[in-house]
Amino acid sequence: MLRETYALFAREVKKTYRNHAVVVMMVIQPLMWLIFFGSSLTHLPADLLSSLFHTSNYISYLLPGELATGMVFIGMFSSMSMIQDKRFGFLKRILVTKAPKESIFLGKVLGAASRGLIQIPVMVVTAMLFGVIFHTNAFYIFIWILSLFLMGIGLASIYSVITMKSKDWQTPGVVSNLINLPLMFSSTALFPATLFPKWMQILSSFNPISYAAAIGREALYGGQVNFLYFGYLVFFSALFLGIGFLASRRWLVAE
Amino acid sequence: MEYTVEVKNLTLRYGSFIAVDNISFNVKKGEIFGLLGPNGAGKTSTIKVLTTLVPPTKGRVLISNYDVEKEPRQVRRVMGWVASEVILDDDLQVIENLKLQASLQGLYGWEENAENMLEYFKIKETRNKKVGGLSTGMRKKLEIIMALLSEPSVIFMDEPTIGLDVGTRKMLWELIRDIRKKHGVTIFLTTHYMEEADDLCDRIAIISKGKIVAIDTPEKLKAKAGSSIITLEVNQDFKASDLKGIKANRKGNEINISLKGGDASFTKILKRINLKNVDSLRLTKPSLDTVFLNLTGSTMEEQESSKIQNMNFYATIRRARS
Repeated sequence: MLRETYALFAREVKKTYRNHAVVVMMVIQPLMWLIFFGSSLTHLPADLLSSLFHTSNYISYLLPGELATGMVFIGMFSSMSMIQDKRFGFLKRILVTKAPKESIFLGKVLGAASRGLIQIPVMVVTAMLFGVIFHTNAFYIFIWILSLFLMGIGLASIYSVITMKSKDWQTPGVVSNLINLPLMFSSTALFPATLFPKWMQILSSFNPISYAAAIGREALYGGQVNFLYFGYLVFFSALFLGIGFLASRRWLVAE
Repeated sequence: MEYTVEVKNLTLRYGSFIAVDNISFNVKKGEIFGLLGPNGAGKTSTIKVLTTLVPPTKGRVLISNYDVEKEPRQVRRVMGWVASEVILDDDLQVIENLKLQASLQGLYGWEENAENMLEYFKIKETRNKKVGGLSTGMRKKLEIIMALLSEPSVIFMDEPTIGLDVGTRKMLWELIRDIRKKHGVTIFLTTHYMEEADDLCDRIAIISKGKIVAIDTPEKLKAKAGSSIITLEVNQDFKASDLKGIKANRKGNEINISLKGGDASFTKILKRINLKNVDSLRLTKPSLDTVFLNLTGSTMEEQESSKIQNMNFYATIRRARS
């Protein structure tokens, strides 16, 4: 199981890194968000900024949130490659080997989650150029990246299960977008929950993006990381990995 | 007798559509066995069950004594697979595709074997090239190497030469015969090319509309279809007496003589007939086309060609699967 999963994961990674255009676009897209959306509140009065976001620079609030959101979108696009493997028959090639079906699913999910990590260094450096100051340590950085990874695993599992079931390109795209936008806006990635109506606050408190973003803010700007948040992300990724395992046994079949 | 593939009363349904209808056959160890039939006859459905991709609706299939339904992973371990459409990862190098296959099949110490086969198949120089840039012939070779990598007891090939040019097809036939000889591997292939079945296979099962209508060697099947026929084109001066009493059918200027005594009687007959007023002659040997026609009442082209029929068939499959 380990060897097969690693081989399939390595395939995903190799395919991504060889496609330079994809790597560049994957990094530029969240960068655009950070630069344009992050700069849109620049002339908000300083006291308002600090009362809402606890910072004088909105980009420093946005950075962990945007990185979490970026994982969501990359997870979605990555799991689309399952459709490609179905269409070009590569899934069949894997299914006639003795590799367990769970390893096919796990390889995809790990590939998607690690793709999402590519953006971190570029985003952090860009944020520094825009005046963001970090107060952190190596352990907290590790916890933060791990929490992004866990969130990425959980979400990529959800998307992979959707792509397992569908035969065409369009359905998973439409369904994923349907999930993505509410997921992004009902999280604290862009704005704090204090601005939300009650029902959206409730949604936000279940939203893994909120937790990954909150851990990021605590870890990067001199706060105390709340390990309950981290525990929630462990639970979230484990839950959907489990669902994905069951689904892959049932639904990963040759067309 | 040792069998590598044993199929007993196999039925495969997609909803109400019966793709494979109660078929039985055995494939001997080391044999090249062909499943011949028109598109939509059930060839691909059969191979899907044999390769564990689809469980049988009814019946039993054993591959090297492993049950495809109960022990699919053991079956996958002892079989190789070559798809009709070349299925490789185009973004990866030749050696990376081989490595991936080895990892998925759980092989150790495969490297030397792989390098040797690349050399033997004359595609060594492509070792570090991306598969996407290779010719179809080279890609087919790589697929066969991948199938051989785990030293399987049987290789399944679904329409191995479909869409290939004549040269590449002949090259693949040679290769298939070659690997059987070298590795002692059993080959199970499907085809709708009569010529391929005739030239390459030790035994053929003819499948039509989900049912197997005959299983035998190509020679025996053809012998059953009837004897060779000599056709003479004659001019007006040809007289019945020129036949010297040999039984024949005359239609205008064409005379057909059936060779009852096999091909050996061909020269005997030619020596007896007065050939002075014969303009041309030809020998028609019975072909698998004739065999198919005799067994099913229509030619393979007729069973395939009707576009509307095909569309209905695929629509049924789609409905049944969704």
